[in-house]
Amino acid sequence: MAETMGHSATATRNTKVVIGFCLLAIAPQIFEFIWSIGTIFGWGAGRGPATVLISHATALVAGAPAALIGAAGGETKKASSDVLLALIYSYPILAVAIVTLFMTVRSAQDYVGGVILMAVALFALWASSDLQGMRGFSFGAGTAPRMFGGLLVALSAAIALTGLLSDGPSMAHYSWRGPLFVMVAILFFALAIRPLGLVVTAFVSFMIAATGSHETRWLEAAIVGACLTLGCAILFPYVLGLPMPMFPRFLIQ
Amino acid sequence: MDIFANLAHGFAVALSPINLLMCLIGALVGTLVGVLPGIGTIATVAMLLPITFGLPPVGALIMLAGIYYGAQYGGSTTSILVNIPGEATSVVTAIDGHQMAKQGRAGPALAIAAIGSFFAGCVATILIAVLGAPLTKLALAFGPAEYFSLMVLGLIFAVVLAKGSVLKAIAMIVFGLLLSMVGSDIETGASRMAFNIPELADGLGFATVAMGVFGFAEIIRNLDAGAEMNRDLVQQKITGLMPTRKDLVDSTPPILRGTVLGSILGILPGGGAVIASFAAYTLEKKLAKDPKRFGRGAIEGVAAPESANNAAAQTSFIPLLTLGIPPNAVMALMVGAMTIHGIVPGPQVMQKQPDLVWGMIASMWIGNLMLIIINLPLVGIWVRLLRVPYRLMFPSIVIFCAIGIYSVNNAPVDVILAGVFGLVGYWLIKHDFEPAPLLLGMVLGPLMEENLRRALLISRGDWSVFLTRPLSAVLLAISFGLLLLTVLPALRAKRDEVFTESEN
Amino acid sequence: MTSLRALATGACAAALASLCAFVAPAKAQNYPTRSITMIVPFAAGGPTDVISRIVTAHMAQTLGQSIIIENVVGAGGTTATTRAARAANDGYTLITGHMGTHAASVPLYPKLAYHPEKDFEPIALLAGTPILILARKDFPPKDLKEFVAYVKANAEKVNAAHAGVGSVSHVSCELLHSILDVKPVGVPFNGTGPAMNALVAGQVDYMCDQIVNAVPQINAGTIKAYAIATPERNPSLPNVPTTTEAGLPAFQAQAWNAMFAPKGTSPAIIASLNAAAIKALDDETVKKRLLELGSVIPAPKDRTPEALATLVKNEIAKWTPVLKPAT
Repeated sequence: MAETMGHSATATRNTKVVIGFCLLAIAPQIFEFIWSIGTIFGWGAGRGPATVLISHATALVAGAPAALIGAAGGETKKASSDVLLALIYSYPILAVAIVTLFMTVRSAQDYVGGVILMAVALFALWASSDLQGMRGFSFGAGTAPRMFGGLLVALSAAIALTGLLSDGPSMAHYSWRGPLFVMVAILFFALAIRPLGLVVTAFVSFMIAATGSHETRWLEAAIVGACLTLGCAILFPYVLGLPMPMFPRFLIQ
Repeated sequence: MDIFANLAHGFAVALSPINLLMCLIGALVGTLVGVLPGIGTIATVAMLLPITFGLPPVGALIMLAGIYYGAQYGGSTTSILVNIPGEATSVVTAIDGHQMAKQGRAGPALAIAAIGSFFAGCVATILIAVLGAPLTKLALAFGPAEYFSLMVLGLIFAVVLAKGSVLKAIAMIVFGLLLSMVGSDIETGASRMAFNIPELADGLGFATVAMGVFGFAEIIRNLDAGAEMNRDLVQQKITGLMPTRKDLVDSTPPILRGTVLGSILGILPGGGAVIASFAAYTLEKKLAKDPKRFGRGAIEGVAAPESANNAAAQTSFIPLLTLGIPPNAVMALMVGAMTIHGIVPGPQVMQKQPDLVWGMIASMWIGNLMLIIINLPLVGIWVRLLRVPYRLMFPSIVIFCAIGIYSVNNAPVDVILAGVFGLVGYWLIKHDFEPAPLLLGMVLGPLMEENLRRALLISRGDWSVFLTRPLSAVLLAISFGLLLLTVLPALRAKRDEVFTESEN
Repeated sequence: MTSLRALATGACAAALASLCAFVAPAKAQNYPTRSITMIVPFAAGGPTDVISRIVTAHMAQTLGQSIIIENVVGAGGTTATTRAARAANDGYTLITGHMGTHAASVPLYPKLAYHPEKDFEPIALLAGTPILILARKDFPPKDLKEFVAYVKANAEKVNAAHAGVGSVSHVSCELLHSILDVKPVGVPFNGTGPAMNALVAGQVDYMCDQIVNAVPQINAGTIKAYAIATPERNPSLPNVPTTTEAGLPAFQAQAWNAMFAPKGTSPAIIASLNAAAIKALDDETVKKRLLELGSVIPAPKDRTPEALATLVKNEIAKWTPVLKPAT
């Protein structure tokens, strides 16, 4: 029907998708960088942000191509984990992103789904690249993950391909409110259950989760949350005998 | 006959007031544990173990056994009502059960699950009493090679149960297999894809991933704008509570077939019971005149797997009672309970502890009777629960799931991981991937890999063992046939689709 | 409105302040004033769990406070031990460690987050479970001497089952293999249950395992036992010779279980816990139940914290050369 209109719509959509893929290609590096900021304040162990930034940047820009050329020249030097990440994970995804620029995506749902799944598979391939492979008739730790990782790359490529070749649904709409507040509620629960105990944690998490829906009425939610907290406080520690802290630790001592 | 004398003795033991009470407590706690999302049987039995120290051993074991099979009854409840499978065995029930609930038929789905479970439980109990000892041979005939072939068959089942694209279903299974490889390698102890997170050292828990991709993802999806309308529709549509005559007629053959499959597979220690429920589902889908109904609220898709998982739960006691070897983690805990009471189960436990063995067998029948009496009236209450406004329901489910996951290992990281898998599940829904094959891949993955490696270690790398051992060869042949049956129509359908350019 | 907000802010600040304050060490005088948590690094129902429960039940009476058992499973018990090492050293979090978590883990896990000697205060040795050499019932060798000769001659062919890397059955079999100087194929299983199933079914040739699970199978004749790796025969298996009697005195192994507290726990608390543990081990019912399990109760001289410290030191020295090349 509206051929021209449809075409321009895919074009704008494509650039968005390509930018998304590019971000996806360096997502692990970005994640480690954000994580490493914590080390400044002494949270967690690991490399500092400066080291992370420099090592990943050199790996992406210089290290990986060098390793690639070296491998082509028959050199078998052991590449560092950062270089491997760039080689196994980032480059293929970037390549896909570039290819996407020149493609008409006929089913964004399948295409994007396939590519993200491929990213997961490539990441798994990288994560299992340091494991030992076959040794005689013994399988070794790495064989099975690499086998299935490779299989998943192939399968997800096939899914992405169907997204290019046959018509299908376009991208579904993602909303942010529900996922955000439910995730915050879960995160709060996980961080607070040990220090603050079941009573406080369950109630606060309930209220945070309730914020995720625009239908929530506050008074009603507070009453139900309080009843639920009471119910949980009786059910889990007493009826089922699960060892759980009930009240904040500072109140007990 | 001997069996009747034994059974009579068993009933005399099981019908003593204290043991009846223990059985009732076990059935009640089991139902509760099954209904609460996240809290698994293993965690509960482990928690309740200390309480049993003060009890007489027979009563203690009757109670623990009651929790185990009671949870199979309860496990279907959350699968059907809110699409959260509490146990690996009720993943399949969620597929058609929750669709039934969405069509306002939660009542019949829950009732048929209870009826199927009761029937299966009765048959399996008789089977234990009559054929327990000879059936033990089957458990011993299954070596690593046979298990590997059985797991291959299981993965083919997982493909069959997909309702959409076969390609996507296979991708999801492989994704599940990859997830199952996180953690320590069984042979070398090397840490695989665990990124130095101590909580990942033993791999991702089933409950964690299941709560995420089913439970949290379903909630997040329901909070999407525009989803309210569907939900309200569900709440108004609730029709009858009990199955109609047609439902009963439709479900009778699946219940019978599910019971047979479940009883056989349940005997196999380590993984047999998990396969039982979706083997039953696959069988029904293959036998059905109109397989398209499956995944869209077919009552057979609830009746068969629920019967199968309950039958399997009962017959999985056979290796414990005849060999003294626990076939799964819950049974291992029961062995622990016996040990604490100074009874170490072994091959002679039937002769040395007739009170315990026959009392337990008799109590299983009584327990199943209690469970159906408890569960049928509960159907009304569960269905009424669906009328609770979703704005109050969803935060409650979040809290219950979070507490459930936390309680499995007392590990906060597990809760965060479940949240992450909730986002993964949301993403899966948005791209039309099905989570059920993923979970099954995750459950079967380690069993498959470990047994493959064990078989190859024992055969010194000779792959032909899978074909030269008769049982294994038969299982592989069935898998191959089933794969052809599944893939061929799918390919044909694909071609038709290309020709007609329909639907989308 | 404003005052309410101020109140809320104040409350939050107070809460935070007290959160920070709870780390302050508890006074040792009237210890214990509340219930004690005992971490067990294995699933409920296992040998370590059963032994801890039997002993702590009696200790709780002596101390006048309940002892709550928390089973934390994972990574051969090292997850739980790491948690215990990082717990507050106020005497309210203890751990039942065993041969695996407090000795064999050192060579097995190069990235271990704790050190058994540096991060723990030993309290008392509780009980040990002897280890047996078991084989399928139709395995050709008739006694231990034949077994040794057979395994040495057929090291390429025989299969040894074990219950997973780091398990007692794995490390003790590694010890046996290092003594015999052979490297047969080890077939890993997920726990002792499946391993025993494979042995009964004859799918594997032999394994080393703790006495608890094996006694009924041996008595029923579904498997056979060559020897017990303790200096003395065990009352529950009077016909099974010791390794010394059967000609392999070098193979001595026992899955010992002992109680530890995090480093820095005050000596007074350690002393009162040790006294309570010794009292429990001397109790007739406790003793009877432990013996029923086939356990070996330590002699009085081995029950002091110092003796336990020496044991840990010796065990690490014993396992390190055996397990180092295996990983």
